[in-house]
Amino acid sequence: MSPLRSKAPRSREKRLDTLGAWLGPVSVASDEFAAREVFQRIRTFAQSSHDDLLYALRILTGIKESVTIIHGPRGCAAAGLYHAAAGSNTRWVVTNLDERDTIMGADRKLRKAVTALHHRYQPKVAFIVGNPVVAINNDDIQSVVEELHEELDLLIVPIYVTGFSSQNAVSGYDTALHALLKYLSGNNPAAEKNAAVNLLSVAEHPLDRKEAHDLLEGLGLELNVLPDNSTVDSFKEAPAARASIPLCPDAPEYLGTILQEKYGVPFIDAPRPVGIEGTGRWLKSIGAALDIPAAAGELHTRKAEETSRLLGDFSLKGTSVYISLSSANAFSLITLVEELGGVVAGVTVTHLDRLHVRYLNELAARYPSLQIHVSDGQEFEEISILRRLSPDLYLGDSTNIGQVARLGIPTVSLEALGIVGYSGVLRLAGRIKTAQANRSFGAALTSTNPPYRESWYSRSNNWHIKQEVK
Amino acid sequence: MSHHIEGSRNSCALHGALQVFEAIEGTVPVIHSTSGCGLQHYLGGTRLSGGNDPFGSPPVSSTNIREKHVVFGGGSRLREQLKNSVKVVQGDLYAIVTGCSIEMVGDDVPAMAKEGLDQDWPVIYANTPGFRGDVHQGYQLAVRSLIEQLPDIWNESQTAPAGLVNIWGVIPNQDPFWRGNLQELARLLEGIGLVPNLLLGDDQNVNSWKQVPGAALNLVLSHWGELPARLLEERYGTPSILLEGLPVGAAAGALLTRVTEKLGLDPRRTDAVIGREESRLKRQYALLADTYYRTGFQREFALVGESAQVVGIGEFLGTSLGLLPRTLVITDNPPDSLQEALVTRLKSIVPEYGVDIVFSEDRAEIADAIRSGGAGIVLGSSLEQEAAVELGVPFLAVSFPLTHRIVLDRGYAGYRGATALLEDLGSVILAGSYTPSV
Repeated sequence: MSPLRSKAPRSREKRLDTLGAWLGPVSVASDEFAAREVFQRIRTFAQSSHDDLLYALRILTGIKESVTIIHGPRGCAAAGLYHAAAGSNTRWVVTNLDERDTIMGADRKLRKAVTALHHRYQPKVAFIVGNPVVAINNDDIQSVVEELHEELDLLIVPIYVTGFSSQNAVSGYDTALHALLKYLSGNNPAAEKNAAVNLLSVAEHPLDRKEAHDLLEGLGLELNVLPDNSTVDSFKEAPAARASIPLCPDAPEYLGTILQEKYGVPFIDAPRPVGIEGTGRWLKSIGAALDIPAAAGELHTRKAEETSRLLGDFSLKGTSVYISLSSANAFSLITLVEELGGVVAGVTVTHLDRLHVRYLNELAARYPSLQIHVSDGQEFEEISILRRLSPDLYLGDSTNIGQVARLGIPTVSLEALGIVGYSGVLRLAGRIKTAQANRSFGAALTSTNPPYRESWYSRSNNWHIKQEVK
Repeated sequence: MSHHIEGSRNSCALHGALQVFEAIEGTVPVIHSTSGCGLQHYLGGTRLSGGNDPFGSPPVSSTNIREKHVVFGGGSRLREQLKNSVKVVQGDLYAIVTGCSIEMVGDDVPAMAKEGLDQDWPVIYANTPGFRGDVHQGYQLAVRSLIEQLPDIWNESQTAPAGLVNIWGVIPNQDPFWRGNLQELARLLEGIGLVPNLLLGDDQNVNSWKQVPGAALNLVLSHWGELPARLLEERYGTPSILLEGLPVGAAAGALLTRVTEKLGLDPRRTDAVIGREESRLKRQYALLADTYYRTGFQREFALVGESAQVVGIGEFLGTSLGLLPRTLVITDNPPDSLQEALVTRLKSIVPEYGVDIVFSEDRAEIADAIRSGGAGIVLGSSLEQEAAVELGVPFLAVSFPLTHRIVLDRGYAGYRGATALLEDLGSVILAGSYTPSV
C-alpha cells in the first residue's frame, strides 16, 4: 500500500518514539533508546510551544505562486501575518470561523475562500490548512478539495494538521510534506531519471540554503531544491531526480524517506553540514553516494584551508558554551564548538528520537555526563538549568532568548544567522566575537528578573515531567 | 455571517485578552488550549510590535492540551497546570484564558477558577475562544473579567485617591503607540490636578485595578472602552466621558476642558495648562513653516488604522496641519451603529472634500482602496507599505502590525504626541524629497 494513501502520516512519536520532554545525562538517553520501548513523557506544568500547524506554515511560506487558506477561527492565521510581514510572497487567508460554524460546519465558507483567491491571484496551487476546530468538528475538507479541483482546474492541497494530535511540532513538517508529495508529485515513480539531484531544505534560513546550494553547484551538481523557495514543478520533478541530499538529517527525513520508498529516489545518509569538519563529512557522504569522491574531497580541502585561514586566531578555548537548537542542528553545533576549542556545558534540543540515536551514542561514549534537555519553548526549565550551569556563552534560536539574556550570559541568536557550511563558521565566529567584546547591554538587562520563583530554581528541574500513563 | 479575511490584523479574542493581561505587571495569563495558541500570539502579535515584549518571550503558562483532553475533557489538566503555575511563576494574579478547542470540548472553566479561589490563589478567568471574536472582543472579555471578578478576591474596600480617572479603550499593541499615548494623557490629566489610573503598561499592576471602583471618572478613548465604562456606571455610578478618537493636539485641550466641566474643576488652572501647551505647539509650527512650504508638506493622505487612530490622527492632519484626507480605512470592525457616526465625523474633517471612507480588515481590499484613491503620503501598518511604494509616495508606519519600527514610549496622543507625529511625518516626507547630489 502506498505510504501516501492516508490523509496524514503517523505522528513522530508513533513513528520514531519522539520525546518532547526529557532531562538527564546523555548516557541515560542513549540507554533509553537502546531499550525496546521508549516511554512518552508529559509535563504537569508547561509553557506555549510550537505545534504542527505552525511548522506546516513554515513550509508553505516557502512555496512560490501559492495561496494558503487557514480553515479555522481568525487567530489561527496570526502566524501567517508574521510570515507576510516578514516578506513571504504567499497570500494568507483565514476562513474566520465563528461560533455557528463550529456547530454547523463551514465548507461553504471554505469553498468561497478558495474560489475568491483563485480568481484574484490565479495561483499555481492553493493550500488548505487544518487546525484544532475543524479537526474536532471533522469538517469535510476533502470533498471541497475534490469538487473545486474539477471546477476551477486548480491544484488544491489539504494539509491535515490538528494542533493536538502530536506533542512534537516537527510532525507538522511531515504532515505538510506528505500532502505536498501526495498531490503534486504524481502517483508513480518517474519513468526516466534525469540528471538533477534533490536538495531537501526544510524551513532553512536563506543563507544556509545558499551555502549548501553553492557548495553542491561547486561539485557540478544540478539541483532541484524543495520545499524551501520551491514551486509546484519542484515537486513534480522530485521523483525523477537521481538522489536526494538532506540539508539536515532531521526535518526532511520524511520527505527523503518517501521519495526513496515510493518513488525510488535514493536518500543519501549525510549529517548536517555545520562546522568545518561537519561540512566536510556532508560533502564526502554526497561524494561517495554520487560517485564523485575526489571532487568532494578536493572542495573540502580547499574550503577548509581557506576557512581556517580566515578564522585566524579565533578560539573558544576556555569558554563553556550552552547550545539550544532544533535537534540535529544542536548535535552538529556541538562538534563545531569543539572544533573551535570550546567546551559544551549542556544542550537543549526541541525533540529527541530514533533519528538521533547515533549522536547520543557517540556523545555518551565521549561525555557520558553531558546533560541533554528536551524542550520546545519551555523557558522556565532552560532558565533554571542556565542559572546552575552558568555558561560563558549561549548559542540558540529559541523564542526565549530575551529571557536568557537577562541572566547576563553573552548570547548569540542563531535564528537569523545562518551557520551552515564554511561561511557559516565564519559568520558564527564573527557574531561570537561581537557578543564577547561588549557585554554592556546584557549587563543592563540583568536588573530585570525572569518571572520565576526562587523555589522553582532550587528544585530539581524535572519534577514536573512524568512518564505518561497509557 | 463572518467572511474570510486576507492578512487579518485583528487576530482573535484569546490574543486580545492576552494583550490585556500581559500589560498588567504581576499578572500571569494561564492559557487553556492547544500549545500553538500562545506561540501564534507571540509570532503574530508580540513580534510585530517592535519593542513590546512583556515577558521577553511567549506567554509563561499554557496547558498545551492533547488529543486525550479533546476526547475526555481538559479539566484535570487545567487543575494541575494552575496549581503548578502558582508554584513556578511569580504572580499577584493568575488569569485563565481559553482557546477554541477547549470551548468546543466544554470544560467547566469557571468551576476550575473557583477551586483555585478556594485554595486562596488569586485566580480569575475569561472564556476567550477565537471563534467568538477578534482582539477587540478579547480586550472587552478580559477587562470585564477583571471588573467583575477581582472584588471576589479582594473584597476589602480600597480607598482611591480623590480625582482618580480610569482610562479605557486602549488595547496594548493593537495601537503600537499605546504606552506613549497613555503616558501623555497622564501628564495632561496630572497638569489639571487629577490622578490618572492608566491600568495598563509601565508600573500598572493589580493595585491599579483595585482602585477602579473608587474613580471619579471613566475616560474612554475608543468604542472598545464603552463596555467597561458602562459596567462601572451600573456597579458604582461612575460618570464617563466617551471619545471616538485619540485626542491629538488641540483635541487634547478640548478634552481637558470637557473633563474640567464634568468634574467641576478650576477652569483657570485648566486654561493655563492648555495655553502653555498650545503656545508650545504653535511655536513648533512656526519652526517648521519654511520646511513645510519648501518641501510641499501639504498633500492628500491615506490613513489606515483603528477607528480611534483614524479619527484622532486624521483630524489632526486635516484640521491643524492642512493635509487633505483622501482615503481613510478603519480596520477594527466597529459596530454598524457606530459606522454611520464615524463617516459623518470623518467627512467633516475638510468639509466638501471627497474623502473615501472604508471599513475593512482585509489586506487586499485595503491595498486596493489606497491604490485606486491615490495619495501623496500613506500612513498605516507595515502591510500598507507595498501600496505606498507602488504609488511612489512616502510611508509612515503608525498602526499594527509594525515590522520595521521600534516603539518604546513614543506616542501620538496629546500635545507631545502631536509633536512626535509632526517629526515622524516630516521625516518621511523629507527622506522622500531629498536627492543626494551625484
